[in-house]
Amino acid sequence: MSNALERVVETHQVIVSAGSGGVGKTTTAAAIGLYGARKGRRTVVLTIDPARRLADALGVGELRGGEESAVKGDFAGSLTVMMLDQKSAWDALVQRHAPTPEIRDRVLDNRFYQHLSQTFAGSQEYMAIEQLSELYAGGRFDLIVIDTPPTRHALDFLEAPRRVADFLDRQIIKWFVKPYVAAGWATVEVMNRTVRFLMRRLEDATGVSVLVEVSDFFTAMSGLFDGFQERVQRVYELLQAAETAFVLVASPEEQVLAEAEYFCRKMSELRMPLRAVVFNRAHFEFEAIGDSPAQRDVAMSTLVPDAESRQRLVDNFELYEVLARGDAVRMESFRRQLPRRVAVAEVPNFDTDLHDVSGLERMHPFLFGK
Amino acid sequence: MKQNDLLQRRLLFVVGKGGVGKTTVASALALEAARRGAKTLLVEVDGVGRAAQVFGVSVRPPGEVAPLTPSLFLMNVEGSAALAEYLMMTVPVKRVLQGVLNSRIYQYFVAAAPGLKELMTIGKIWFEANRTDTAGGGVWDIVVVDAPATGHSLQYLAMPQATFDTFTSGLVHREASRVVELLQDPERTGVVLVTAAEEMPVNETIETYRRLRSDLHLPSALLVVNRFHQTALRSADVEALERRLESEASVASREFVDEVLRRAREELGWVQINERYLQRLREAVPLRTVVLPFLFSEEFGLDEVKRLSAQLAAEVAETKARPAKGGKA
Repeated sequence: MSNALERVVETHQVIVSAGSGGVGKTTTAAAIGLYGARKGRRTVVLTIDPARRLADALGVGELRGGEESAVKGDFAGSLTVMMLDQKSAWDALVQRHAPTPEIRDRVLDNRFYQHLSQTFAGSQEYMAIEQLSELYAGGRFDLIVIDTPPTRHALDFLEAPRRVADFLDRQIIKWFVKPYVAAGWATVEVMNRTVRFLMRRLEDATGVSVLVEVSDFFTAMSGLFDGFQERVQRVYELLQAAETAFVLVASPEEQVLAEAEYFCRKMSELRMPLRAVVFNRAHFEFEAIGDSPAQRDVAMSTLVPDAESRQRLVDNFELYEVLARGDAVRMESFRRQLPRRVAVAEVPNFDTDLHDVSGLERMHPFLFGK
Repeated sequence: MKQNDLLQRRLLFVVGKGGVGKTTVASALALEAARRGAKTLLVEVDGVGRAAQVFGVSVRPPGEVAPLTPSLFLMNVEGSAALAEYLMMTVPVKRVLQGVLNSRIYQYFVAAAPGLKELMTIGKIWFEANRTDTAGGGVWDIVVVDAPATGHSLQYLAMPQATFDTFTSGLVHREASRVVELLQDPERTGVVLVTAAEEMPVNETIETYRRLRSDLHLPSALLVVNRFHQTALRSADVEALERRLESEASVASREFVDEVLRRAREELGWVQINERYLQRLREAVPLRTVVLPFLFSEEFGLDEVKRLSAQLAAEVAETKARPAKGGKA
């Protein structure tokens, strides 16, 4: 059993739990956080959308975005859970940085802002990272475990901050706050008539005078976004730093692993530190230890004299062996492509869903060894 | 509401949380529609090529049609490509247009305009569902959409109504109203909710059902509970073996027996979880429900999709068969 993840957690201050949706990222992040707290670390788990029963079990069921709560329990260190909510994170950012209450309200009422903060692709990922760097700078915790948003594609999490940064690029913003832009497309002199016609048509199709709203938004926010590129740069530096470890969570399914493979490749291109892979809900092949199939038959016949009952038990064993064979092949071929120093943990599919502290602890031997 | 055959409708949206088997169910439905002779388009939205992977074809650029069987075709629809296509169709001066599409300001606009990509995606799907050939007949008998993960899907499905509400007259209003009309018509459109019978997906499904009904007024047509563990095992099998093991001092082939027991507990555990959440679904989502089994296979591929397709077929075909194709052309 692998215990290599133990070292990864011991030697890093920031753990990012990444992977595509529905593979157990949140559960893994919570299990890592719990382990850190048991080992004496002041731990915070930044989570996005935990299952209701798990949230209730940790005592954070009522938590709203941006709030935090200390988990009660027998910890050598401490365990805090914090909920991320992108809308409130953006609002908090505006509240913090708006120079006057008037400007703050103007931004909060701006339709473009409302759209940006709720639906702009990547803003949730960006905000997760923004909150991470704040927790890091705050110094209250010596282990920060961050659960990444449920993206369609695991990679979105890595690319989103850059995309948001490009979007809020100062050069572009400068252009948008020019007075003639603020008046709308009709007065944009640099464009010819056809282009202007097209753009107006686009505006009609979307239902808002986008340009005016955008311009107004950036004018109000111009102070805030001045240092934006630098800030994003710093966040990337933190993600690439020696104290950060990415843990990729994947289930041993074809499509999930195809995405995970792409994610790994992209991580090394971006020089992001992939330190561990967790295969979750895996099935393991049975390794025979010296006995023959005939001996097993005899043993089963002795223990379960009822032939039908015995057949049902053995049939079920065989069905799971089929699953296990497939999982083994896929995990092995995935493993072969990983750089050697990436730790690999295999967590079995349990006989129940993990929804409380003792459930999370069942993962521990498989993640960290005995 | 008239309860007509699901596959007689023109447009099916298959929605659900990531990882529950949306692509599998969408593919299975599309296969069955095609098998019954309907010219079928399977649409993947903003896809990473999952449907293409299932059918073993290479991923095509957005908007391109890939043939899967003689009557089944696959297309990836993506908002900005759909917008570009729309502009290409409606704007005569291509040279100018290319310049616009490549400009940073245009790309900025597309990224910033609220809901534009979602609207264009639905617009493109609507266009395909209504597309006619030169003879005036419909190009597709049915369009099956493998929608993005639920949160995103609802954003897409809400857009036409939002647009319709924003504009009270004019071209955009008329276009949006035609889209809304199709989406809300239970004769022509159906939303298929796919879920696994586990906590997270079930909570999300209940919420989605509620929103489809009360906010979006879209016709939910079918609930598919996927990956449902059904077993011949009985808990008595496990209990008897457990009791026996407790009383025996030494057991031959102990590792094997322990593993038999562990796997039996695992299976019974998931049967129990699945049943509990199916019960919750039945209480909260009063829809026609199809339960598809968890498949024990080494690899989940086209054969498995075909097996599920056959099961779905039996369940959705209770009403009359599709009339001969000539009937509606």
